[in-house]
Amino acid sequence: MTFLFLTQLLAVLAALFCITLFTVRLRAFVRLAVPKDRSQPRGNPNAGVAYALSLGMLPWAKESTRRHALAYLRGVGFHLAVFLVLGLFLLSPWLGLFPVPLRLGLAALCGLGSLLALMGFVSRFIEKSLKVLSTPDDYFAVLLVSLFLACAAALLLNLGLLPFFYLVSALLFVYMPLGKIRHCIYFVFSRLFFGRFFGRRAVLPHSQQGKVVA
Amino acid sequence: MSTKVETALEVLQKQLNQPLVAALEVCARCGICTEACHYYQAEPIEAHMPSMRAEQLRQVYRSGHDWLGRLFPAWTNTSPLTEEKLAALAEMAFTRCSLCARCTVNCPMGVDTPLMMSALRAMGTATGNAPEVLEMLADAAIEKGRDPSIYLDFYLESIQEMEKELQQLTGNPQARIPVQKKGARKLYVALAGAHTILPAAAIFDAVDEDWTLSIFEAANYGVFLNDASRAKAICKRIVDEAKELGVEEIVISECGHAYYAMRWVAPNWFGEEFNFKVTSIVEVIAGYIQRGLLNLDPTANPEPITYHDSCNLGRKGGVLEEPRQIMKAVTTNFRELTPNREEAFCCGGGSGLVANPDVFDLRMLAGKPKLDQVNRSGASVVVAACENCRLQLGELSSHYGAGFGVTAIADLVVKAMRLPGARQTLEARMTSISESELAEK
Repeated sequence: MTFLFLTQLLAVLAALFCITLFTVRLRAFVRLAVPKDRSQPRGNPNAGVAYALSLGMLPWAKESTRRHALAYLRGVGFHLAVFLVLGLFLLSPWLGLFPVPLRLGLAALCGLGSLLALMGFVSRFIEKSLKVLSTPDDYFAVLLVSLFLACAAALLLNLGLLPFFYLVSALLFVYMPLGKIRHCIYFVFSRLFFGRFFGRRAVLPHSQQGKVVA
Repeated sequence: MSTKVETALEVLQKQLNQPLVAALEVCARCGICTEACHYYQAEPIEAHMPSMRAEQLRQVYRSGHDWLGRLFPAWTNTSPLTEEKLAALAEMAFTRCSLCARCTVNCPMGVDTPLMMSALRAMGTATGNAPEVLEMLADAAIEKGRDPSIYLDFYLESIQEMEKELQQLTGNPQARIPVQKKGARKLYVALAGAHTILPAAAIFDAVDEDWTLSIFEAANYGVFLNDASRAKAICKRIVDEAKELGVEEIVISECGHAYYAMRWVAPNWFGEEFNFKVTSIVEVIAGYIQRGLLNLDPTANPEPITYHDSCNLGRKGGVLEEPRQIMKAVTTNFRELTPNREEAFCCGGGSGLVANPDVFDLRMLAGKPKLDQVNRSGASVVVAACENCRLQLGELSSHYGAGFGVTAIADLVVKAMRLPGARQTLEARMTSISESELAEK
């Protein structure tokens, strides 16, 4: 049994642990009541949902993200990098088959993602309003993700680091469903409820505004 | 654990449905919502950050629902509910958040902070931590609804008197304010005082509408308490009246929360889809204008006029364009506030704050962003389709010496109708409502 195999096994077990706990959480969540809205709709709730999950996420869609465009894009960038590396984790046994230019390009993206995450970590220290909001869980989570992305970048440059990547991945997978990173499983639901609310009232998307029903 | 804490936790537990749990779980504490709050704009302190407010409830939620939080409370900033904390949380929810949902619109996750603050209000109400004045106003409305016969004769007499004023105003001796008219098309639900009845009656008269006036007031203080049983009881009076009279439509006076409650929430309290429409008088007037039923002279309102979007009517109610259609038809110098519509700032008086004399200073502070907006617009008159907003805007104007006037949409419309008796009857009565009128209520 090689060290690589051991770390790979550990990462797979951690991923299974993560999936199991997320499933438990999601099952508990979907068992909760969804209040039925019996009011006569003014707009289309589905249009609101579609907007909430697409155009409504664009940086210029709301005042706050226009005001904090860089911080917002930093967040978007680092979340996209996380999804990229999760995909790479699944493909990790075959990374050696990737053409070198592709690996280099992916390494750059992962490295950038890691840097963006690190910037998020630093801004939690520097920005007063973020600092008061932050818990040790926040700092640890963003550091862990930053490390995960950095490891992926390093791995793509040097495939010999695969066991190290698996160890960090295992740590991340164990922590994901326990700490603040678990917010990811509620994201779609939150945007869904948001879209339904404002879509039903013909507030969002903006194209729904202006209906005179009287 | 004290009984109060137990009760509060039970109330929280009962409210934990998917939207609330999503709101409690999804926040990444990115702080992007911070400046969206008018309290924070007015006074940038941590207590005014929407995410920080919500965090107070999350700390309690985590102590019961988060594995990591229960094992290592300091790691996730988890703390159990105590009586002191409960009182502080209720105070925050009732005074430092007007449930305007501006933070929700501005949150990348769509976190429903008003939903969390409403949950806290319910916990506060159930444990005697709600503002007394809101409870008194809600209970008074319920009491009044139990036996309308106690005041009905007096009410009908005062309506008869008002009818004379209406006839003078419109120059139409046949103008009527029908009450309890079976089979009428529209049931108009006004607020206390003639100022929300006469202008609407004049407009209904001008278009020959088949309408009747409700014997109940639209205001619903149960909504502010997030006490579904009280709020439902207040709405029930009107719903029963509408069913008994067989109307096709309930038309709510220019009142943000009353419209929001009846239009968007009441069907859920009653668990039924109403067989009548619920609209705001603003939508009805815009409809009349669209159909060319009103003869309007916009030069009657030549001063620089702006419109304030009430949160309950606009961002949370969808009535965003109709007021602007009316403004275009009845004014010559209309100017928008920036930002507006779903991005509009709350005036700082919503969700029961205007009725609570203990929070006057806080209210004046929270209204500062709105005041600045109005000042930047250069308007000398602010129009608002919500009674609480009008009261708050009027007080902001006098408190800061801004000098702008405040009026309702229907008042402007009536002015633009150039009615023969407008000068004598209305202008004296239709200036913005005063505090004493609220106290009267």
